[in-house]
Amino acid sequence: MLSIKDLYAGIDGKTILQGLNLEVAPGEVHAIMGPNGSGKSTLSHVLAGRDGYEVTGGQVRFDGEDLLALATEERAHRGIFLGMQYPVELPGVNNMTFMREAMNANRRARGEPELDAVAFMKRVKEEARHLKLDEQLLKRNVNSGFSGGEKKRNEILQMAMLEPRLAILDETDSGLDIDALRVISDGVNALRTPDRSIILITHYQRLLEYIQPDHVHVLVGGRILRSGDKDLALELEEKGYGWIEEEAAA
Amino acid sequence: MSTLTEQRGWFSALASSSEPEQSGPEPDWLRNTRVLARDAIRELPVPNRKLEAWRYTSIEGLLQQEFTPAVEQGRTWTHEELEPWLGPAADVYRLVFVNGQCIPRLATGLELPTGVTLGSLRAALGTDPKLLATWLNHTGAHEEHLFSALNTALIHDGLLLHIAADVELDRPIEVVYLNLEQDKALLNQPRNLVVLEPGASATLVERFIGAEEAVYFHNQVTELVLQEGAELRHYRMQEESRASWHLASLYLSQDAHSRYQGTSLSFGGRWARTEYQARFQHEAAQCELNGLYTVGKGQLTDFHLDIRHSVPNCTSRERFKGILFGKGRAVFDGRILVEKQAQKSDAQLRNDNLMLVRDAEVDTKPQLEIHADDVQCSHGTTVGQLDPQQVFYLRSRGIDTDSARRMLCLGFAGEIIDTIEVPILREQAMERLTATIRTATETLE
Amino acid sequence: MNSQQQTMDDLIRTGYQHGFVTDIEADTAPPGLSEAVIRMISAKKGEPEWLLEWRLAAYAHWLTLEEPDWAQVRHPPIDFQSISYYSAPKKKGDGPKSLDEVDPQLLDAYNKLGIPLEEQKALAGVAVDAVFDSVSVATTFRKNLADAGVLFCSMSEAVREYPELVRQHLGSVVPYKDNYFACLNAAVFTDGTFVYIPKGVRCPMELSTYFRINEANTGQFERTLIVAEAGSHVSYLEGCTAPMRDENQLHAAVVELIAMEDARIKYSTVQNWYPGDEQGKGGIYNFVTKRGDCRGDRSHISWTQVETGSAITWKYPSCILRGDDSVGEFYSVAVTRGMQQADTGTKMIHLGRNTRSTIVSKGISAGQGQNSYRGLVRMAQRAENARNHTQCDSLLIGDRCGAHTFPYIEVRNPTAKVEHEATTSKISEDQLFYCRQRGLSEENAVSMIVNGFCKEVFKELPMEFAVEAQKLLNLTLEGAVG
Repeated sequence: MLSIKDLYAGIDGKTILQGLNLEVAPGEVHAIMGPNGSGKSTLSHVLAGRDGYEVTGGQVRFDGEDLLALATEERAHRGIFLGMQYPVELPGVNNMTFMREAMNANRRARGEPELDAVAFMKRVKEEARHLKLDEQLLKRNVNSGFSGGEKKRNEILQMAMLEPRLAILDETDSGLDIDALRVISDGVNALRTPDRSIILITHYQRLLEYIQPDHVHVLVGGRILRSGDKDLALELEEKGYGWIEEEAAA
Repeated sequence: MSTLTEQRGWFSALASSSEPEQSGPEPDWLRNTRVLARDAIRELPVPNRKLEAWRYTSIEGLLQQEFTPAVEQGRTWTHEELEPWLGPAADVYRLVFVNGQCIPRLATGLELPTGVTLGSLRAALGTDPKLLATWLNHTGAHEEHLFSALNTALIHDGLLLHIAADVELDRPIEVVYLNLEQDKALLNQPRNLVVLEPGASATLVERFIGAEEAVYFHNQVTELVLQEGAELRHYRMQEESRASWHLASLYLSQDAHSRYQGTSLSFGGRWARTEYQARFQHEAAQCELNGLYTVGKGQLTDFHLDIRHSVPNCTSRERFKGILFGKGRAVFDGRILVEKQAQKSDAQLRNDNLMLVRDAEVDTKPQLEIHADDVQCSHGTTVGQLDPQQVFYLRSRGIDTDSARRMLCLGFAGEIIDTIEVPILREQAMERLTATIRTATETLE
Repeated sequence: MNSQQQTMDDLIRTGYQHGFVTDIEADTAPPGLSEAVIRMISAKKGEPEWLLEWRLAAYAHWLTLEEPDWAQVRHPPIDFQSISYYSAPKKKGDGPKSLDEVDPQLLDAYNKLGIPLEEQKALAGVAVDAVFDSVSVATTFRKNLADAGVLFCSMSEAVREYPELVRQHLGSVVPYKDNYFACLNAAVFTDGTFVYIPKGVRCPMELSTYFRINEANTGQFERTLIVAEAGSHVSYLEGCTAPMRDENQLHAAVVELIAMEDARIKYSTVQNWYPGDEQGKGGIYNFVTKRGDCRGDRSHISWTQVETGSAITWKYPSCILRGDDSVGEFYSVAVTRGMQQADTGTKMIHLGRNTRSTIVSKGISAGQGQNSYRGLVRMAQRAENARNHTQCDSLLIGDRCGAHTFPYIEVRNPTAKVEHEATTSKISEDQLFYCRQRGLSEENAVSMIVNGFCKEVFKELPMEFAVEAQKLLNLTLEGAVG
């Protein structure tokens, strides 16, 4: 479904991704781990099409289509969802209005009928309940005054509503206590389907105890230096990233 | 308004007098500067309430009073007479001015490091004319301001501080201006020039002290030039006589990566106005201005800020607080201008006032003028009272009302005083404030 | 970033939607201002002697005044002799007695504006008075209002029918000596709206006036007077449009509100005068004096304005909080784009005890637009426990516009409390990316963020107009992302 070949990309004239390769098949969960500055967030931003990032080499195909040629919102319409590390606050913009606008923009782009207000309300409330998200938060402005955990849950709620084909969850576990982590993981697990893929970007193995990945990749210096199954994550937890760098250098 | 123009009185007399009474010949550049300033005096409007900068500040009283320029000392003051005013000069380089004239014999601790020039501007006219020719009136101080023009036209003496590149001064410089009683009301006009070359660093303390009941007009102009990477901490404490007029105009010019941290405390004067004009010449300069004013019976205290961001990436922070404890008036007028090309400017202005008595008045006018979009700018202003809940809280802990109010006032003002990094001055400021507030709260209802 | 800029520019260039000219035969006075012209206006309207004298006194005073120059706006000098001070659609006989008699082309003009005057089509529960150039052409729902005792008619009619009421109140809030443009208005005003709500009456419907300047070279000088007697309530809305013309046209209106004990007046404005073209050619000079007098205790005056039009806007809807416990509010959204300039804000003059005021001002600048908030909060000596809270936010879209804040705060009472906050920001790239990542187009994202920015003000508008205002804002900023 997602095919990244020899990708070079960066920002402000600095190349951060240095020939990255990754293949994600439908239904798979991939974890990408790596130390600070290894290019994890750059990868997520490049995939989502953030302005300012420059691709200098390689290609990214999504269902065979050249993803890099598409505008940010067009990628969203194709089914790419980025759960952000720092969800943005939108003062004065009602959370529900925002979600409904977003959902219907996606549906319109896909030629599906828009969801009417009643059906939308029913669904959003249901999903919020699954995520133990206070209904009051739905009525507030997008992420304004939300706690760190509430923001992350709001991200997963949006994911549930938008039903993406590929969800990239960027450090979704950062800053969460164990209870919040469990709720969010349950939420993500409930969204696993045979044709929906997930890329988990994380620092720690902890998240992977809750969301079992099919593949684990180690990203160092803008390249994937090693791939394996979930045991690789355990090994990293124990030994850190140094040995992989050394092995790669050797 | 025409009557006001006609009322210039002593002012127009001074402006039209053909030649200043100067001893000895003067270099051409200085004579030219004086001529320009004289022309400006004739052309600039007399401050009146129709001028935005003088909307809340009347100068009628000032115009009605007759002043004589204090060019020569009317009398000589003995060391014993001056000692009580000065206090100990602990760990500072000290320079003393009496009625606007530098008195070299009162200076202390002047074994200065190499590269530092500190002393009388008048003396430097003889010893270092090149330095003055380069920098004096560099900021064009006389051009828009009648009183700065007056100061410029009559330049006589003042503070000269020049620090060579990369010299970091180990001790603060303390400059004391004593304004002492004379038989005539004096016009004291120190003209100060402070130049820090690239990478230089210093702390400058200015104290303004007036003899009780002395009537005078202290009209000071200070030009501050901070070259690339220079750093100046500048603390000013104003305790002029309650019968005096005090106007301090500071013209600040900052180069790239320079840093100016200024704190002004205004306690005295019947009419006291401080004006800061800050200009960023190159990127990444920082300017922080703090101010505290207390206003008692019959006092008018006025702060004017004119901060211009004309290059990108500069930061300015302005924080001013006032306490009104008598039938007086506080004026605050802070203007931040961000020009088109000054992207990434970061400017924040705050003015908070505590009004503790009836028949006082606060007029405040924080302004933002923004012509660039990628900026962070804000201002906030409050006028109010002590929070009754806080007073109640302290009382519930056994503190009497007066003490509770004093504590809260000190807490309110403390934020500004704490920005002074010279411990002894901080203590003196706190003492002065405590005394002021004590007298004040005792007379409150 | 480039694509963003592109869309933004497209948005900024979106044309003015109400720029048609209606071809109606008009009775227009030749350009010029003189005592004779004023006498002519007064005679045309068959005014009583006292009103003519008032006009002439105003004119005599105006001649002694100089045009003010303190606002943050720039324009070439106005040639007051080139303006025509009277223009009325030519009518057969004495003017329409009912809508059936109104020139169908006029009705058509208002229909194009989305303001159907025919009662059956009128917005549910909204009574409309329409002022075309200088005269009122139609007032709807007269009967329903009359049943409630509410007087709602054109100013000319009020002068004829209720001269004592008019005489008592006209100029009592904005005297002709108040300022340059108010003085000019007093001398030459041609029509406007009069509303009188008797004691204890809650006006059964929203009242609304639509103003339109149609003729070339005419100025519009209308005068609105609303009197709310003790315990009464009224909500009033005005909307404004004008055709596209190359020359500038002057609109110098005066609005006076009087609220007696426990009365409430809510005054909403959606101003969409022609703003001029991209280069700043043409457009309306909107120099308006609006003031409300909270004369009675516990009275309440609330101004809400959405200002998207005009080449230059210069207005400060104000409240004099005279009665104890009276409340003044000012909610404003002002948008400038192209070469538009707005200098707007409010004055809250607290005279009475426990008076309260709230100011929420949202300025949006795009293109080369210049937007200034100018406001005065004054706490007079006897304003015990008075309170003000002011929030001024500016949003900049593009790097050639300007946003300025000039508050004046004057406090003379130690129990009064004033808080003022102002911020300046732009739509952040983070916010745009977030919305687009969720599938929203850039335009959609901007409109959502801008509407969010204005929400506090929109929620003060009567429901049906809030929607209209939101649409207008979206149209105004269409494509203007940044």
